[in-house]
Amino acid sequence: MTTRTPKRVDVAGLVIAAGLLILAGLIWRDMTSLQLSSVYGVGPKAMPIVVAIGLAILAIGNAFMAVRGGLPSRESLRWMPITLIIGGLAGLIALIQFGGGFIPATAVLFVATSAAFGRRAFLVDLIIGLVAGLVIYLLFSKLLTLSLPMGPLERLI
Amino acid sequence: MDAFFALAHGLTVAIQPMNLLFALIGVLLGTAVGVLPGIGPALTVALLLPITFKLDPGGSIIMFAGIYYGGMYGGSTTAILINTPGESASMATALEGNKMAKAGRGGPALATSAIGSFVAGTIATLGLAFLAPTLVELAVKFGPEDYFALMCVAFVTVSATFGDSPVRGLTSLFIGLALGLVGIDKLTGQSRMTFGVPELLDGVEVTTLAVGLFAVGEALYVASRRHIQEEVLEPVRGSLWMTKEDWKRSWKPWIRGTLFGFPIGALPAGGAEIPTFLSYSTEKRLTKYPEEFGHGAIEGVAGPEAANNASAAGTLVPLLALGLPTSATAAMMLAGFQQYGLNPGPLLFAERPELVWGLIASLFIANAMLLVLNLPLVGLWVRLLAIPQPWLYAGILVFATMGTIAAKPSVVELTMLGVFGVMGFLMRRFDYPIAPVVVGLILGPIAESQLRRALSISLGDPLVLVQSPISATLLAIALIALVLPFALKGMSRFKAEED
Amino acid sequence: MKLTGKGLWRGALTAAALGLATSAMAQAELKIMAPAAPGGGWDQTARSMQQALTQAGLAKSVQVTNVPGAGGSIGIAQLVNSSKGDGNQLMVMGYVMVGALLTNKSPVTLDQTTPIARLTGEYEAIVVPTDSPIKTAKDLAAAVKADPAKVTWAGGSAGGVDHIAVALFAKAAGADPTKINYIPFSGGGESLAAILGGKVTAGISGYGEFESQIKAGKLRLIGLTTPASKNTAEMPSLKANGVDLEIANWRAVVAPPGITADQKKALTEVVDKLAKSKEWAEILKQKGWDDAYLSGDAFAKFLADDQTRTKEVLTSVGLVKP
Repeated sequence: MTTRTPKRVDVAGLVIAAGLLILAGLIWRDMTSLQLSSVYGVGPKAMPIVVAIGLAILAIGNAFMAVRGGLPSRESLRWMPITLIIGGLAGLIALIQFGGGFIPATAVLFVATSAAFGRRAFLVDLIIGLVAGLVIYLLFSKLLTLSLPMGPLERLI
Repeated sequence: MDAFFALAHGLTVAIQPMNLLFALIGVLLGTAVGVLPGIGPALTVALLLPITFKLDPGGSIIMFAGIYYGGMYGGSTTAILINTPGESASMATALEGNKMAKAGRGGPALATSAIGSFVAGTIATLGLAFLAPTLVELAVKFGPEDYFALMCVAFVTVSATFGDSPVRGLTSLFIGLALGLVGIDKLTGQSRMTFGVPELLDGVEVTTLAVGLFAVGEALYVASRRHIQEEVLEPVRGSLWMTKEDWKRSWKPWIRGTLFGFPIGALPAGGAEIPTFLSYSTEKRLTKYPEEFGHGAIEGVAGPEAANNASAAGTLVPLLALGLPTSATAAMMLAGFQQYGLNPGPLLFAERPELVWGLIASLFIANAMLLVLNLPLVGLWVRLLAIPQPWLYAGILVFATMGTIAAKPSVVELTMLGVFGVMGFLMRRFDYPIAPVVVGLILGPIAESQLRRALSISLGDPLVLVQSPISATLLAIALIALVLPFALKGMSRFKAEED
Repeated sequence: MKLTGKGLWRGALTAAALGLATSAMAQAELKIMAPAAPGGGWDQTARSMQQALTQAGLAKSVQVTNVPGAGGSIGIAQLVNSSKGDGNQLMVMGYVMVGALLTNKSPVTLDQTTPIARLTGEYEAIVVPTDSPIKTAKDLAAAVKADPAKVTWAGGSAGGVDHIAVALFAKAAGADPTKINYIPFSGGGESLAAILGGKVTAGISGYGEFESQIKAGKLRLIGLTTPASKNTAEMPSLKANGVDLEIANWRAVVAPPGITADQKKALTEVVDKLAKSKEWAEILKQKGWDDAYLSGDAFAKFLADDQTRTKEVLTSVGLVKP
């Protein structure tokens, strides 16, 4: 879903409506692929059918609202902070997936979010993030004996 | 009267210094861990089970009771302060509580939640001590059709969280219902909406959705409009403590919340979430300040918090009276009992009364300890909001991901957290209410499986839904709740015309 | 939290079933994976092994990791794909995984792992409310044969051991197993409440879950899925009472594929010493758990046989397409 500045016909609203319709379609398609049914009573298809039909009707309702300009007006938004936060999350996921470990992953998210909110002291924030990650790591792995993702840094501890 | 003597005797057990110490350790651990999203009291008890192996049975079970109650407190603190519900039952608390915190009323919000939890916990524990045998007889009579009817009541009340547009509210609810379809169908074992991703087979975790929509979504939203409106957080505006007015507005919701929480918590499939929703919507209907709802109404914190804690005590009713573990934590406590060769159930009251009553008495003590511990901390907690904004939000995000990583260290789960965060951002931007999504995810699957169970038992005969008196009554309540607002509106219009 | 009650407390029982071993040469650093969330059944098993192994000095250190999801399908995939040839890695698993891998159409199978040993087992019990007209296993079998739709069963998740046992019961009673009216409940508490409330005809679960209710006279034990040799008046075996049904819900440990014969031998020895300690026997007794220790080739054969049988049953019930 994308967002644009509001015109008379709200394009973003139409995109939302289309998104709901696609979701309804996905549910419907998934429903038809179910092979087993319950022997007695209502089967597993009933609920997806209800939800899909409901979403389709709501898609029409939302489209109607968009055409009539029923959506609230929106202020402009900055993409930079959003990109930074999502980038931070993506960095965290990537570090965990490729064995970077929990502590650096946490630090990356911390720095990225902090920057999104306007701070420019990367080094200080990085240190704060690393320390926070370390404290959490010790708390979880030593005290609660939960295994957190390991990386080179964690193996040293 | 026997129960009184037994309880008095139980108190003498519970106030032994060692047992007091266990209760204290329990509530401290419970609060600390309950604060973490994704790590609930169940997990804490599970992790502590091997450690307590060597303690005496009484002491360790008393400690578990402390963890249980403590976890309930912890979850609401983060819900109020940083909009990150530690567990699904704290979601309703976050709705108004976080708004209060942002308006500088975090102190009263935390206080009403702590005192409300204490009041509810105490009343509910009394209920546990004196009503357990009667209540459990009733609870067992609840069949699948009755649960379905209860879900219908809950669905009707969801509209309280809809905001001003029914279309947008329903859209949110149906997105939640769609998310509820993901995973293995409980009744046939087939996968639905999993698209070949094995991690999706277990369905969407409620805490992941709630934390994504609430905490991550909020961070994205605030960051994206920082250039328009600098968010200024004042930790304390007005009084740090509850004013006389706050007390007046809180005490009725506490009682009503308890009345929802305790009986529903005692139902084997009742859970803690439904009473919190019911309490929230009831308070919204009954309040004298409807304009404050959505902007931080204290009733919306007091009621659900009381309901949450009362349901925790309610869960112990079937556990102690029948040996039925109806929540994950209760299941762990059952395991704790069995570790010592004790079997909760009809025989335990007769065989080991000192243990059962010692436990009930220590619940009172744990509850009082929590109040004493938490009230002085209120001032400290709200100071958290004075942290510079970049660090505050960075901390919130670290906190939100940490719970997910610890509970389910999978990339798919983290990706879902991110996706739900973006969804929460878009929903805020386009003014769709957020709570109905979570409500749909919780209620949808329960309603579906209970209906299908009922119809499977009746071999497809839908009349089963109205033949049970409990179910018929609940469905009637749902119908009245659905129709009444319209009827009242019509009446007032009629009256206006008359004038 | 989505930890269901049943899995949790059954698991905690197993957890305790693994006690301390006394002394032996410390093996290097062991890793035990629990293919379930922390707090779940397999997790408790793994953590108890960890505790016992370190305290008994059987291993220098033991690390427990959790890879939750889909009845163990995700954990086993990681074991087979990422831990290949690792002689210090173990994974806890159980009968539930056999069924889950089949119903989830998992690309990875248990045949790819290296079987080490079965540790514990629990027999299934069939119960009815005390006021039920059904008194014996034969009565129940007759009712199922007369009309399988009218006999409603409360038990655990679809395709799990409870479901399989009910299908086998119908088969043994001479009824069509695809026509059974089996109602899965999400937690032990929920299904027990349905049985106590008389919402269903009969209930099925591990014996431990019903024990206190049976002793309190709230439920009547119809039979256990024990071998006929274990039949007693108080603990009637279905097999000795005219219903040919024998099944157990077991827990075991397996190792990754591609380990050497020596590595396999070393792992088996460690588990062997763990299982034979007198502390373990004591805990088994305390919990009322059945020791089901079986290692080496005998366990490998058992595992293969149980997989074949489970596949047959699940196919006959229609949960797995042939």
